[in-house]
Amino acid sequence: MTSAAAARISVWTVLKWATAIAIAVITIFPIWWMINVVFSLPGEPVAINPRLWPTSLSAGLEKIEMIFTQTGYLRAYGISLAYALLTILGVLFIGSLAAFEFALFDFPAKGPIFGIVMLSLMVPTAVTIIPTYLLTSNLGWLNSLQGLVVPGLASAFGLFMLVQFMRAIPKDMIEAARLDGAGHFQIYWHVALPLCRNALVTLAILTFMQTWGNYMWPLIVTTSPEMYTVGQVVGMFNAPLSHQTVDVVMTANLLAAVPPLLFFLIFQRKIVEGIAMSGTKG
Amino acid sequence: MAFLEIKSLCKSFESYSVLKDIDLSIEKGEFVVFVGPSGCGKSTLLRMITGLETPTSGTIAIEDEVINDVDPARRGTAMVFQSYALYPHMTVFQNISFGLRMSRKPKALIRERVEKAAAILRLDKLLDRKPAQLSGGQKQRVAIGRAIVREPRVFLFDEPLSNLDAELRVQMRAELLELHERLGTTMIYVTHDQVEAMTLADKMVVMSGGRIQQYGRPLDLYDDPDNKFVAGFVGSPKMNFLSATVASVGAGGLRADLAAGGAAALPLIEALAPGARIDIGIRPEQLSVVAAGQAPSADAVSVAGRVALIEDLGAESYLHLHLADDSRIGVRTARHAAHLGEEVRVAAPAAGVLVFDEAGARLRGRA
Ligand SMILES: Nc1ncnc2c1ncn2[C@@H]1O[C@H](COP(=O)(O)OP(=O)(O)OP(=O)(O)O)[C@@H](O)[C@H]1O
Ligand SMILES: [Mg+2]
Repeated sequence: MTSAAAARISVWTVLKWATAIAIAVITIFPIWWMINVVFSLPGEPVAINPRLWPTSLSAGLEKIEMIFTQTGYLRAYGISLAYALLTILGVLFIGSLAAFEFALFDFPAKGPIFGIVMLSLMVPTAVTIIPTYLLTSNLGWLNSLQGLVVPGLASAFGLFMLVQFMRAIPKDMIEAARLDGAGHFQIYWHVALPLCRNALVTLAILTFMQTWGNYMWPLIVTTSPEMYTVGQVVGMFNAPLSHQTVDVVMTANLLAAVPPLLFFLIFQRKIVEGIAMSGTKG
Repeated sequence: MAFLEIKSLCKSFESYSVLKDIDLSIEKGEFVVFVGPSGCGKSTLLRMITGLETPTSGTIAIEDEVINDVDPARRGTAMVFQSYALYPHMTVFQNISFGLRMSRKPKALIRERVEKAAAILRLDKLLDRKPAQLSGGQKQRVAIGRAIVREPRVFLFDEPLSNLDAELRVQMRAELLELHERLGTTMIYVTHDQVEAMTLADKMVVMSGGRIQQYGRPLDLYDDPDNKFVAGFVGSPKMNFLSATVASVGAGGLRADLAAGGAAALPLIEALAPGARIDIGIRPEQLSVVAAGQAPSADAVSVAGRVALIEDLGAESYLHLHLADDSRIGVRTARHAAHLGEEVRVAAPAAGVLVFDEAGARLRGRA
């Protein structure tokens, strides 16, 4: 009886581990292959006798230096960072302000307005992208940072998530603050915001991943090379008619993947927590 | 005019009327307790005094100033919530000083007031803790501290002790009384626990169904209730009610037939027609067991019943009697006054019983 149970458990354990390892290998291999190609002498990893580990640190550094100095990559990096950070700030600020009102106060037509905002979650980007483009273009914002950032500032998903969190704030707490003489904005700033810090961090992470990886919108809005984001530059490296060799293309890709990777390593626990939370609370 | 004066105050939520025509005067420095069953509008009344709800009609005045339209933060009232409503992300110091910081008081003043309040409430060593690291009683004290530093004219407490266990509740009650003595500030306290109300109150406001049933000193309400509701609500164990029918009213008093069997002669003159239904209220401690074979004295109300349950409380026992009309009454007696299942007769001096008419109003006409 006991041995049967033990056998079952061990089979199960083996299966579990095998699956986990397989998934890990499948996920990590492309990244590892990228590193492998970049930090090797040209041609080596794809030779008849390919190697699975890097051979030349200096070859890799040389390629990185070449990309940073001889292409617009560094500028694109800056623009992408600015795009991501400004979007995060905007989404957090606007989303939390709106969520504060929706979750904790009553105002006329609150239900229908919230409904409309939530409805927009169901409309695919492909449908809205042309009107948004026309609007941006009419404002004269093509090829500008505000053209990149502003249309992404109001996030219906962010609002939804923050509203769920703020609804959990006890009404007594808001009333106590009011009796203590705190104004509307003070209540928001000193009570509501700190109480949904976890949600804000989660939303910041999700927004970062989304904006850093956003390819379509920058492609449409910033057509002149000096406003290219990392995604666009990498896209050019990857294009079929690109005159770059495979290892240089790989370097460009690796560099683009570094910020999200770092982000993941730093915030790994928060990300898991946050996604779990937005799943259960939402 | 009184310190806090409430005049013909009404409150409705949409069409649902919660408070009806409340009139109340509270003197400076009094400890007033609002007590009543759940849903009777105690919290709503308190919230209107502090400004979290607006009255539908009527006025509230403090020190002769009508405060209906004064901003809640400027009324000079401070409220302590049942849930404490502490900010979990702030330390005790930050929690207590929140109001002062919001009104941009000088740092030195903030520190001084917080330290003074912390000393009164024995929170000195806890100022750097977060609420999650405090016990229930300590959280309660922080919530009170937050009220104290505002130096209000009136403290408002909404069931502040109901989240605490019984022992701590008794202790906090004593602390609240001590605090009241020390500060001398007017305090209004809401509870649905009438024992708590009796022990704390200078004056007690018994509410039911959105109306004030009676307002006065706890013992006056106990001894001389205005109606059946107050009589039944104040006092623990509860007052017993015997239903009866008027047989005759004469110069000598009123004779009534008890539904549980027997008759009672009551020293009461009222314009009641024979056949009118009344309720006779008798407190458990007024009743005593009549020894077998002995007749109850002529001027006593007596009734017989079977002992259904005995609660031995140590010094005394509490008998539950099952009467002939299927009602139950409680009797407070010495130990071993009766045995379970035994038929006993209990009696109370007629002068000590209260009489209520069919609608529940007290009949006071003395012979
Ligand atoms: N915002 C509101 N909207 C509608 N009805 C309300 C509102 N607040 C209170 N009520 C109703 O008013 C009545 C009185 O409520 P209140 O909270 O004052 O009762 P309470 O005496 O404090 O009861 P408890 O002892 O349970 O706290 C209740 O029937 C309640 O349903
Ligand atoms: Mg209440």
